[in-house]
Amino acid sequence: MNEQLPKWMLKFLKWFCPEHLYEEIEGDLIQKFNRDVKAFGDSSAKRRLVLNSIRFFRPGIILRNKYVLTPMPFYMLANYFKIALRIMLRNKGYSAINIFGLAFGMTGAILLGLWISREFSYDQFHADKERIYKAWNRTKAQGEWQCWDITPRVLAPTLVSDFSSVESAVSLSYYNDSYLFSVGDVHIMKNNASFADPEFLTMFSFPLIKGDAKKALGNANSIVLTEGFAHKLFGDKEAFGESLTISQAEYDIPFTVTGILKDLPSNTDFHFEFLIPWQFIESNYGKDTEWNNNSVSSYVKIKEGISFETLNREIKDIKKKNTKGSDETEIFLYPITKMHLYSRFENGVAVGGRIEIMRMLGILGVCLVVIACINFINLSTARAARRSKEVAVRKVTGAFRYSLIVQFLCESVLVAFGAGVISLFAVYLALPFFNTLVQQQLELNFSDYAFWVFAVAAIVFIGLMAGSYPAFYLSSFQPVRILKGVPIVSNSRNVFRSLLVIFQFGFALTLITSTVVIYQQTAYLQNRESGYAKNNLVYQLMTGDLIKNFQAYKNELIESGVAVSVTRTSSPITERLSNTSGMKWNGKDPENKSEVERFYVDENISATAGVKILKGRDMNLGKYPSDSTAVLLNESAVNMMGFKEPLGEIIEDNGIPWHVVGVVQDFILTSPYKKVEPIVLLGSKGGDNGMFGVIHIRLNPEQTTKMNLATIAKAFSKYNPDYPFEYHFVDVEYARKFANVKATLTITSLFSGIAIFIGCLGLLGLSTYMIEARVKEIGIRKVMGGSVFNIIRLLSGHSLKPIVWGILIFSPGAWWAMNWWLQSFEYRISFSVWVIVAAAASILLLALLTITLQIYKAARVNPIKSLRTE
Amino acid sequence: MAKEYLGEFEELILTMVAALQEDAYGAAISEEIETRLKREVNLSAVHVTLYRLEDKGLIKSSLGGGTNERGGRRKRIFTITSAGMAMLRAMKEARIDLWKLVPQLKMTGI
Repeated sequence: MNEQLPKWMLKFLKWFCPEHLYEEIEGDLIQKFNRDVKAFGDSSAKRRLVLNSIRFFRPGIILRNKYVLTPMPFYMLANYFKIALRIMLRNKGYSAINIFGLAFGMTGAILLGLWISREFSYDQFHADKERIYKAWNRTKAQGEWQCWDITPRVLAPTLVSDFSSVESAVSLSYYNDSYLFSVGDVHIMKNNASFADPEFLTMFSFPLIKGDAKKALGNANSIVLTEGFAHKLFGDKEAFGESLTISQAEYDIPFTVTGILKDLPSNTDFHFEFLIPWQFIESNYGKDTEWNNNSVSSYVKIKEGISFETLNREIKDIKKKNTKGSDETEIFLYPITKMHLYSRFENGVAVGGRIEIMRMLGILGVCLVVIACINFINLSTARAARRSKEVAVRKVTGAFRYSLIVQFLCESVLVAFGAGVISLFAVYLALPFFNTLVQQQLELNFSDYAFWVFAVAAIVFIGLMAGSYPAFYLSSFQPVRILKGVPIVSNSRNVFRSLLVIFQFGFALTLITSTVVIYQQTAYLQNRESGYAKNNLVYQLMTGDLIKNFQAYKNELIESGVAVSVTRTSSPITERLSNTSGMKWNGKDPENKSEVERFYVDENISATAGVKILKGRDMNLGKYPSDSTAVLLNESAVNMMGFKEPLGEIIEDNGIPWHVVGVVQDFILTSPYKKVEPIVLLGSKGGDNGMFGVIHIRLNPEQTTKMNLATIAKAFSKYNPDYPFEYHFVDVEYARKFANVKATLTITSLFSGIAIFIGCLGLLGLSTYMIEARVKEIGIRKVMGGSVFNIIRLLSGHSLKPIVWGILIFSPGAWWAMNWWLQSFEYRISFSVWVIVAAAASILLLALLTITLQIYKAARVNPIKSLRTE
Repeated sequence: MAKEYLGEFEELILTMVAALQEDAYGAAISEEIETRLKREVNLSAVHVTLYRLEDKGLIKSSLGGGTNERGGRRKRIFTITSAGMAMLRAMKEARIDLWKLVPQLKMTGI
């Protein structure tokens, strides 16, 4: 009768059913089956049996399993850790290589992980973040879509009034103007004023310590300060409800503090220390209803349940509608949650942005841990012969393979744990340095239990990752063969180990190549001719009474001999003021939409900034009064405009005809990474309405800078007594343009250093064990007449092979990656193959050094020593 | 233990164990319930309940003999413990006490 039983069903039962219950359950099922056969017939009985068996697959049965731990009792764990500790202590060198290798890798990975998670947290703390969007422009120029996120002031109110799905919309702007804050005797200058709509505080989750988010910006003369700024102004006094004075140009305006914001967290793209309501500007200067004037960031909060794609379709043509077709720029909304990492647009499509760097860093972090794990795997398998006897004896005395695996995993987890503790210390020590490098305020949150859970989980995971292959490999030994003395050699293992070394050194090669290329590019950028003399040049912002006292101030500076030349300009020579594609000149191609940078100067820019005049002359108002409408072109501008003989040409901008009096050599106004833009240096006519915000002063090189500055400070306090004396060195500001690329350089050199160090550690360990295994061979070779050199050549060739392969396989990748990186610079080096060759050579040399030193030591030993004992 | 309560099905199974005595094992109990009470029961439910009762100490078990019908597999024979018996009795008495509170139809006159 039993032949009719579906055997597979009983197998399934046996799989999940607890052993001590299995027999009777099976018996009951069979009994029931046999009775069912009589009552209902074969097929029905079979069906019932299957059904009844499946019904046993229930928690009441399954949970009666005395779990898998039965073959590995807990008391063995203590023993495993004891053995692991003893083995680690007996082989201190080996343990050190493993632990420090892993610790180095983990330190790098933790630092990168902290950084990446911080970048991902940017502006994710706003309560309604899913409903808040930033408005962007999109316009077609030269057949390609261009996107930018500065929008007209009038956009936000129009969105609220015309579209029912918009809950609220605000404008936020940072104006580059000098504002002097005064409270009693405290004066603080701010060169950045931020204006916001009242709903700003309710739309975003910047918590107010004092004040009502709904009302704080409701009044034209109200102001909201951050806690830190309030403390600077008011000291320990209560700032809320107090009044302060803001001086701008010749006005002194009283404000009342109606809110104190908690200092902004570091993970936000908003930067302000105070907020002034738009109402203040608008009640004094009128509303800006110009649709062409892109000057603010607009943020939109949509109602719940509205899809922003639909809204995007509706608002697309809002500019066109409101300008009666004259402006075809489209408006679209983009989520603020993506603002930080995904805000690079190419031809109108979001193609990533900062996220690409984060991905690279993520890969880098993972690779660091992986190469450290590879060391562990390689060393453990290389040492297999040493552990084989232990494995055999354990098996003979009754150990399951399973428990051996657990034992080896315990060892690797222990190593990972040691490495984890060391790396946490290292991270703790390295964080301040790393923070200045990446300009973040990262911290290890020791009090957060989630951090510890994650740390322990990561350590266990890394331990398992590093230990699983060796565990399975070591536990697979057959005791009979080992105890008989059959040597364990298997080819596949060597291939696997070689593959791991290939990866390790290929990765190191990629990193070295990157470091060299980034170094070359950085040096290339820094040595780039800036086009002006940066040293001994300072600039000040035009503030307070300086506007009316400028001439007297300038005269005093020159007469007292501290300044060689003084020039007023519209912006510092290291920054852009504005650009336009709307200039007109003779013979302009109507299709030419190239942007031209505007830079206003009054006179003598060549003497002050050291910009070289190539043709014609500099502006000089004393000699040529008509120079107020003069213009200087740089070489790029001349080329772009297509002038053969630029002198005397007329360029029209903002309705003013400017006459060209000279051509200056190209100089870097904006980014040293890019080609020099066409720049026009417009005369003082454009500067009448307070356009001249900056004074450039060429210091007297005969005197020390300290003396010069002291005299300037005296003159400054005479002509502008209300304002603090502030100045900026142009060379310092210029150097700041390189901060980014320099940080990249430091980060890559740091991590490639770590990678190479870990790789060499591993190689050192591997060669040590290789030599240990071949000590007898070396002895015999020597006895037979082999020279030390021959032996070194023979053994090192074998070890170097995978490294050569790694170099060959990974160099195309390194080539591609660095070309991709260089693409982001318009002004860049050409990538030479020799960089890769040099990197490869240095890796080989380093590896050779590591290996030969070991072999040399072994080969020098008297063969009697190695051959005497058996 | 006083706070231990039994569900309806548990009580049923416990009663069956007490009733069937030497022949109280999973399949037999389920069969008895089916024939006597005309109630479809699930074999696995019977087993799970038996194990649970055993955990509670109301019954105990030992392996008995196998029969040909069972493919030679041994039975697990359950026997009620004194705790189980006390529990059963307490439940029955409580039930009767409660039953007495229900207003009965006066049948005496008939």
